[in-house]
Amino acid sequence: MLAQQIVNGLMLGAIYMLVAVAFTLAIGVLNFLNFSLPGLFMVGGMLAFGLMKAGWPFLIAAAGALAAAAFVSLLVERFAYRPMQGGDPEVPLVSSLGFLVLLENLMLIQYGSDQQAFPALLPDLNIRLGGLVIGIAQLISLALSLGLVAFLSWYLSSTAGGRRIRTVAENRETALLMGIDISRLVPQLFIASALLAALAGILFAVNYQQVSPFMGEGVGFKGVAAMIVGGMGSIWGAVLGGLVIGLAEVLSISFIGADVVNISVYGLLLLILIVRPQGLMGRAASREKL
Amino acid sequence: MALLEVSGLSVSYGRVAALSDVSLTVNEGEVVTVLGANGAGKSTLLKAILGAVPAKAGGITFADADITRLPPHRRMAAGVVLVPEGRRILITLTVEENLRLGAHMRRDTAAVEREMAAIYDRFPNLAERRHMAASCLSGGEQQMLAIGRAMMAKPRLMMLDEPSLGLSPLFVSKLFDLIRELNTEGLSVLLVEQNTGKALKAAHSATVLELGRVAMAGAPDVLAADPRLQDAYLGGGSAAH
Repeated sequence: MLAQQIVNGLMLGAIYMLVAVAFTLAIGVLNFLNFSLPGLFMVGGMLAFGLMKAGWPFLIAAAGALAAAAFVSLLVERFAYRPMQGGDPEVPLVSSLGFLVLLENLMLIQYGSDQQAFPALLPDLNIRLGGLVIGIAQLISLALSLGLVAFLSWYLSSTAGGRRIRTVAENRETALLMGIDISRLVPQLFIASALLAALAGILFAVNYQQVSPFMGEGVGFKGVAAMIVGGMGSIWGAVLGGLVIGLAEVLSISFIGADVVNISVYGLLLLILIVRPQGLMGRAASREKL
Repeated sequence: MALLEVSGLSVSYGRVAALSDVSLTVNEGEVVTVLGANGAGKSTLLKAILGAVPAKAGGITFADADITRLPPHRRMAAGVVLVPEGRRILITLTVEENLRLGAHMRRDTAAVEREMAAIYDRFPNLAERRHMAASCLSGGEQQMLAIGRAMMAKPRLMMLDEPSLGLSPLFVSKLFDLIRELNTEGLSVLLVEQNTGKALKAAHSATVLELGRVAMAGAPDVLAADPRLQDAYLGGGSAAH
């Protein structure tokens, strides 16, 4: 029973992790708390659902949803982020929140406000290990999420592109003097974080077989919480934070009760932040990013 | 042959003119120095040549191509590089990552590795600390790193903005030796300096800026003997310090 709940918790945690890493990219490099990301999470799940309903096979529908999320993210960059450069950092935050509301309502117009059932993709494929039941879809999702984050971490630490991103994260003016094409790099980062968020939305839809226009809000908050608990700006901190929150949520639902899940999850986060204000993997008073 | 040709360049920050009608030439293989008081527009001139601040009027030609409207990364690809004021080492990167950052636009990886090995030969202190955070270097070592990083871009013209600022006398001598060495190896140099005496000695030609305009220009020995320059920057006749 406990082992089963831990597996389930890790699965949910992997989704929070992807969202947290998406937030981390935006805040770590661009210093931008991008609240359109929960909307892009929802666009991933909802559009994959909508395109499958229109008869597309799953993989093509998923690719279409990812492409749409990337495109919307470019619009967010163009209309919420770019015009506000040089002003208050809170301004793009609010306009990105506007994008979240806009996306939710567009989906609501198209598909209605009800929760919709996402088709089961691999319904009968399970691995049984002792008393443990692990769905193949679950396993693939977990491996995909961890693999993707590991790749991202490797890219940032070991490639020329990664060094460019870390230079922009540390000091934008220096990056300009080093010949880094910031006007090209920023949209690329918006695409990367959108793909992470939308993929998380698709995985959520596949594993929990439900989508709704408002599915991004709860997950988005937990993603932000995971980023903060892990340590702002640290990718592996976001990974750890996401998994901790997923586990805490699933375990408290099954052992304490679904009514108090938010109290126990956010209570735990509060406790962690009291003990380690810089987050689990954040470094105190350091300028280290990513 | 002229490598860099700045003609009639004007730059403004808002409504404040930082440079007015500045012209300057760096010939292939030359060291050219730009002198002037604080606020004379020296850093602005280098940033405008790199493209980090836009030209309001005038033109910049590099290697026979008009680069006036190109963004910095395109100018760097053409062979212009800046060692910025205050060095601007990336402290969240290691020493080696800072060097590699200098080569971030290059695709010829084998040559990049060779040149990095050569830079480590030239600066053994950097080699010892290659995997440490760049913040652990001394000021002099950071300046060497900043120059090494600029060399990694394989430039034809290296612009240095007050490289001797804040360095010990020993490192200042090393720095000017290094500039001469790089120049002998074929690199053209545009040097902005406060250390007027040493800069004039190293240079083939010199330009003095005053309030954003060219006040004097010519051969270093002629300028060094000019009473106006002596009064303003050389402390009245002690040109040989």
